[in-house]
Amino acid sequence: MKKQASALPFAIGIPALIWQVLFFYVPLVLIIISSFVKLSSAGKIESFTFEHIQLFLNATYLKVIASSLLLALSNAILCFCIAFPLAYLIAFRGRLHRNLFLFLLIVPFWTNFLLHVYAWFYVLENQGFINNILMKLGMIHAPLQMLNSTGAIMVMMVYYYLPFMVLPLYTSLERFNYTLLEASYDLGGSFFATFRRILLPLSGRGIKAGFFLVFIPSFGEFAIPELMGGDKKMFVGTVVSQYILGEGTGSLGAAFTLISGVFLILSTIALYIVLTKLLQPRMYRG
Amino acid sequence: MRNIKLKNLKKSIRGQAILPNVDLMIPGGKFFALLGPSGCGKTTLLRLIAGLETADSGMIYLGDDDITRKPINERPINIVFQNYALFPHLNVFENIAYSLRLKKIPKEVIIQKVFKILEAFHLEAHIYKLPSQLSGGQQQRVALARAIIDEPDVLLLDEPLAALDFKLREKMLLELIDWQDKLETTFIYVTHDQFEALTVADQMAIMNHHGEIEQIGTPKEIYEFPHTSFVARFVGSTNIWHGKLRELDTEPEIEVPDLGNFKVYTPKKKEWMKEGHDIVMSIRPEKIFISKSEAQNFSNQIKGVVQSIVYYGRSTQYNVLLENKEKVQVFEQNEEHFPHEDIDYDDEVYLYWQKENAVLLEK
Amino acid sequence: MDRKNSLGKISSLVFVSCTYLFLYVPIIVLLVFSFNVDRFPAPWTQFTLKWYHELFQDIYLWQAFGNSLIIASSATLISLAAGVGLIFYAAQGGKIGKTLGMFYGNLIVPETVLAVSLLSFFTMIKVPLGLITLILAHSVLGLGFVVPIVYARYRELDPTLTEASLDLGASTLQTFFKVTLPLLRPTLTMSALLVFILSFDDFILSYFCAGSTAQTLSLYILSMIRTGVSPVVNALSSVLLFLSSLLVLFFFSLKTRIRF
Repeated sequence: MKKQASALPFAIGIPALIWQVLFFYVPLVLIIISSFVKLSSAGKIESFTFEHIQLFLNATYLKVIASSLLLALSNAILCFCIAFPLAYLIAFRGRLHRNLFLFLLIVPFWTNFLLHVYAWFYVLENQGFINNILMKLGMIHAPLQMLNSTGAIMVMMVYYYLPFMVLPLYTSLERFNYTLLEASYDLGGSFFATFRRILLPLSGRGIKAGFFLVFIPSFGEFAIPELMGGDKKMFVGTVVSQYILGEGTGSLGAAFTLISGVFLILSTIALYIVLTKLLQPRMYRG
Repeated sequence: MRNIKLKNLKKSIRGQAILPNVDLMIPGGKFFALLGPSGCGKTTLLRLIAGLETADSGMIYLGDDDITRKPINERPINIVFQNYALFPHLNVFENIAYSLRLKKIPKEVIIQKVFKILEAFHLEAHIYKLPSQLSGGQQQRVALARAIIDEPDVLLLDEPLAALDFKLREKMLLELIDWQDKLETTFIYVTHDQFEALTVADQMAIMNHHGEIEQIGTPKEIYEFPHTSFVARFVGSTNIWHGKLRELDTEPEIEVPDLGNFKVYTPKKKEWMKEGHDIVMSIRPEKIFISKSEAQNFSNQIKGVVQSIVYYGRSTQYNVLLENKEKVQVFEQNEEHFPHEDIDYDDEVYLYWQKENAVLLEK
Repeated sequence: MDRKNSLGKISSLVFVSCTYLFLYVPIIVLLVFSFNVDRFPAPWTQFTLKWYHELFQDIYLWQAFGNSLIIASSATLISLAAGVGLIFYAAQGGKIGKTLGMFYGNLIVPETVLAVSLLSFFTMIKVPLGLITLILAHSVLGLGFVVPIVYARYRELDPTLTEASLDLGASTLQTFFKVTLPLLRPTLTMSALLVFILSFDDFILSYFCAGSTAQTLSLYILSMIRTGVSPVVNALSSVLLFLSSLLVLFFFSLKTRIRF
């Protein structure tokens, strides 16, 4: 049955596309362009230049990008190590209380982000919960410095991103055909062999989804390092915001965003390839 | 090949007793079928033998070995799942080779063994295909090959042909019989389809809705000499008559209310056969003759009116209404192209049978 | 494998408990001490509701709360409307297959980048930063979720249902409103809920695109954090946590009725 789309449906459908293009792609393109332009004091375009880009292609800034990549990767891996067993247990062993577990997982997920930051503040701060208790118990005499460290950042990152990893894994495992695992055990497989040969490869989609949902945003993460890490820690997000919000350094911010963006894309592709290779079963093909 | 002994096996799931008490001996090296209605517990029993579930109490022996608490991956028992459970991400070769790979058998040996079995199952053309690219029958064969390649003592089959169409099912049943013969492995075949069970089994057991085994025997014993009404009704179809036993010592008869007395055959006197007590008589439809004219020399005969006729090709089924308002089913084989007698709707007919062809059952 | 391995069971239990404890201990600490008289989290002294009183009398807080509400609702409505419009076009035979990929950009681009580029964009076209820019920004975020989710569900719909409707005499327009849309209702509700929450809780877009005039809840909390520990924030946390729980309960009641 051939349906011809007349003018009215088109008019109704097109705003979505226009909106997306206008407020998503145009700004992105602008950012890319502004990396290459030099603005006069009046804000008009003077010339096209590579000097902004060149400014950032040195060790200091590349280190910032590298540490952001490292942070994102470790966050993803840590989240995975906790999330996968958790998702497995909820999906396969927790059938009865499944909804309760998921409910408990989603509630923090759907509570204001800043509140979580504040909660950890409250617990870790110099005059916060842990220090207060320890001091009152006489176990320490001066407050432990827990905030403003990479440790605090990592804890907060895992805390915030864990549900992002658990949910796609859970969705994938929930649909998993359990008889496949039974067949593997029946044919003589140990728990570990079944995990490696059957469970892991067949959860590939969920695993990749989880990794990307954590890796990509973690890279550009700005709030957590800013609030938990103090001034000593420099990551892509904090650097970009410094430049963008600063006076007249807009183009610099744009340029750095562009460069980090490129690195992000490259590492995402690399991550995808690595994950695919790791999850692929080894097969005899003749 | 070793026997399997199940002693006082009990299993409840979520408070419901699925298997109240199973005591069964499955002879080694034979094709054994477990037949029962859907949901009766036969799959649970199979899973207990495989090790996928643990019994609440009781013992399972493989020969002299107590395997009750042995984990599934240590039992030399393999199962062919109803949905085949082929690993979707592995090709046919790897699926079949799976159990060998786990044992770290050298690659060349694996290749040799797998190719040999592929040949036997006529799967050479599909070696590198993924399960999704195979037809139902091919998938079935891969599942079977995968389960037998490491030469288990026992092969469990959980309604393996349920997903196949009729012609394919017939073909696969014969192939399975062939395989069991060649391998001499004990096959335990679980199904709700009596045709399958009767076809393949050397020995079979009938399980009722409550997880109890009602009878064990060869297909012929079970069909011709059922021990209970459940077995008589579940395997094949039958006509059931309730009545009282009369003249037990001289010429035994069953007195059926509003119908009359019929001669019965009691070669083995059972303890429930008492004069004047209620008994049940079961006659299979194919053992009853139907004709428009009265018969001579038959022990038992009644009159009725034909209610419906169903033509099955090989046979015709008549549903006849008797004088006491009961209905009787009669099967007649269509032996002749031009039958000498034409029986039609509303015809008055005579039904008759030999007393030896009926079975007496306890009420 | 039905392993009654007690070691396995115990370690699983310990693992799951520790994980959930990790997720909840800060929140619980926060809640408990919102009722404590002391300013700092010291051992418990006295039960009080004074922080809650202070909370409900803070006008600026409620202004920020109201703003967040307005922004979230508007963004949700805009993304829903645009999303449904797109589905409508697809249902009438329009081909949107390839252009659909455009909406997946949200997943690939970190929110910081989006915020930064929107900020530059707004500055460039000289739009003053405020509620409007925030609504625009959040609606783009919302579109990136609504369109992929709803379209995926739309594709999964049983085609024989629309065929039956047409066969019984309905026009394509009627079919859309009487059959397609009602079938999509749970998914639409769920994506609306998702977008609303994301917008309401959002921090990054607000930080960059709010300018100096608009105040959202997240930004308000940020300012409170900057001034140090205060039990008023604790009180606020428990209120918001309670509201979130209600929303999640609502979400679950939808989920059990029909799959996503």
